[in-house]
Amino acid sequence: MKWLNLLKANTRKEYLELKRYLPNTIAMLFTFYIVFLGLFGTIQFIGDPSTQDVNTQYVIVNYIFWFLTITVINSIGYEVINEGMRGTLEQLSMSPMGISRIMAARLISTTFINLIIVIVLLYISMLTSGQWLNIDVITIAPILVLTLISMFGVGFIIAGISIILKQVQAFLQILQFILMGLTFVPLSLSPVIAYLPFVKGIDLVREVMIDGLTWSQFTMGDFMLLGFNAIFYFALGLGVFVYCERVAMSKGLLAHY
Amino acid sequence: MDKIIEVNQLKKSYKKRRSKEYIHAVNDISFTVNRGEILGLLGPNGAGKTTTIKMICGLLIADSGTITVNGINIREKRLGALNHISAVLEGNRNLYWRLTVKENLEYFAGNRGLSRKDVRERIEDLLVKFRLKDKESELVNRLSRGMQQKLAIAVAMLAESDVILLDEPTLGLDVETGYEVRELLKEIVRDYKRTIIISSHDMDVVQDLCERTVIINKGKVVTDDKVENLLKLFDVRAYTLNLGGLLSDEQQQLLLQKFPQHEYTPDTYESILQINLAKSEEIYDLFDVLKLETTPVESIDRSIVNFEQIFMKIVKGDTADEMAQSS
Ligand SMILES: Nc1ncnc2c1ncn2[C@@H]1O[C@H](COP(=O)(O)OP(=O)(O)O)[C@@H](O)[C@H]1O
Ligand SMILES: [Mg+2]
Repeated sequence: MKWLNLLKANTRKEYLELKRYLPNTIAMLFTFYIVFLGLFGTIQFIGDPSTQDVNTQYVIVNYIFWFLTITVINSIGYEVINEGMRGTLEQLSMSPMGISRIMAARLISTTFINLIIVIVLLYISMLTSGQWLNIDVITIAPILVLTLISMFGVGFIIAGISIILKQVQAFLQILQFILMGLTFVPLSLSPVIAYLPFVKGIDLVREVMIDGLTWSQFTMGDFMLLGFNAIFYFALGLGVFVYCERVAMSKGLLAHY
Repeated sequence: MDKIIEVNQLKKSYKKRRSKEYIHAVNDISFTVNRGEILGLLGPNGAGKTTTIKMICGLLIADSGTITVNGINIREKRLGALNHISAVLEGNRNLYWRLTVKENLEYFAGNRGLSRKDVRERIEDLLVKFRLKDKESELVNRLSRGMQQKLAIAVAMLAESDVILLDEPTLGLDVETGYEVRELLKEIVRDYKRTIIISSHDMDVVQDLCERTVIINKGKVVTDDKVENLLKLFDVRAYTLNLGGLLSDEQQQLLLQKFPQHEYTPDTYESILQINLAKSEEIYDLFDVLKLETTPVESIDRSIVNFEQIFMKIVKGDTADEMAQSS
């Protein structure tokens, strides 16, 4: 029950802020669309016509995921920095729920709200390009959940680092491109890549959405890898976060105003 | 009496940036707070007040020493202890500026695991009590500093925790708003039975609100006493007499013997005599001297000592002691 209230409060805050800063929100969506048009145009005009359709489909899926990872992982970093300067991070840290639970609630609620936005963007992209992907919700949903869990792990790591390192802002800029790498890289490049956070999940989603695969066509190995990836990165992320929190509490870094 | 907070031999040092030196912000501080008590934590800037408060709120881990809240050791059961504590930390920026007054209250309640329904009535109460009702839909960044500070206090009240810590609640407020916040705190003290710890370097706050005060300086406790007793302690019997004429040489000699500390400003029409009495009976000795020449006494005023003077004396006395020890 307490958990649910925590989740509700954070979802509501996320929603209110998006609504209150509607021009910002619209500008963000507009930027997304313009960049998409740019990518789409590039493929149309200079790409190889025989692979054009598949390329476009790849770009849609990758780009959507990139957007989602940025809005969740990058923004948790910026949020933590801002709240450290504002003093609200200390206020949150005094909650008997514990700051890591609050961060988890934040990650979940941000993802939830941005997922809705991303779905809208997905349809707009498909409509623009005329490339209709296979939206098999039953197959995609479980893969997506596991992929998101792995993503939350990375979110925790970024949140933790943002608490204790003041110069993290520059890194967050670079992080966007790291996230781009993780969302765009095809697994066919090397099997080792599957062990990176959420790469395997996005690869499976691509297989569903582009090649039309269903649950029955995945191997046990696929599931194992996906599950392992989710658990590993979530646990790692939480561990890093809790460690950073303790460092911050020893050195007095929860507020740097 | 029931001790709700026990702080025992607390130490905390910060590493100075780009050096191997440490600042001993809190250096062996112990005190206790009784349930329902209003305690003032007083000290000049840099004394270690904020550091102490943050350790009690579980925001800073002490280097050594223990803190218990309602018998719960904050180091061992941090979240359990936090159930009994809420705080307003220094500055008034610990609010969400993009949210309205009411949304802030609801959001902070949510982060303690409470639903909007759980706190609906409480929020209404607080908004009325804090005279923020007409501002409930206003964004926080549009509020004055005083209102932001009131809201921050309201957020802390919302949790209905046993202990509330207020770090410099009137810092940075203009005289009028400072007064308003103090009056509000008085109401809170009167209407809600909570244990409150207020840190301040503003004597008015402490003299107005607190029953007992722990004065700290340079990370150490200098005194721990009832405000009343402190006032009594320094209730130096200081008198200023306006005399309608001059004192004779004999009178002056006698005064010098009996009251070596006195100050005499001669004037043919109105001399001023300032005198400190160690005991109240000494006033008779004074009058004996004045009676010798039947010197006319136009007026007698007793000087009023305020907390600020006491505080300065204690803090200065402390540094003087230290200097004496080190030399
Ligand atoms: N995060 C920090 N890092 C380094 N030094 C600090 C930090 N916080 C406080 N200090 C130092 O510790 C001492 C006590 O500070 P503080 O507890 O804020 O005092 P007060 O609240 O009584 O003004 C000061 O010398 C201050 O400069
Ligand atoms: Mg302070």
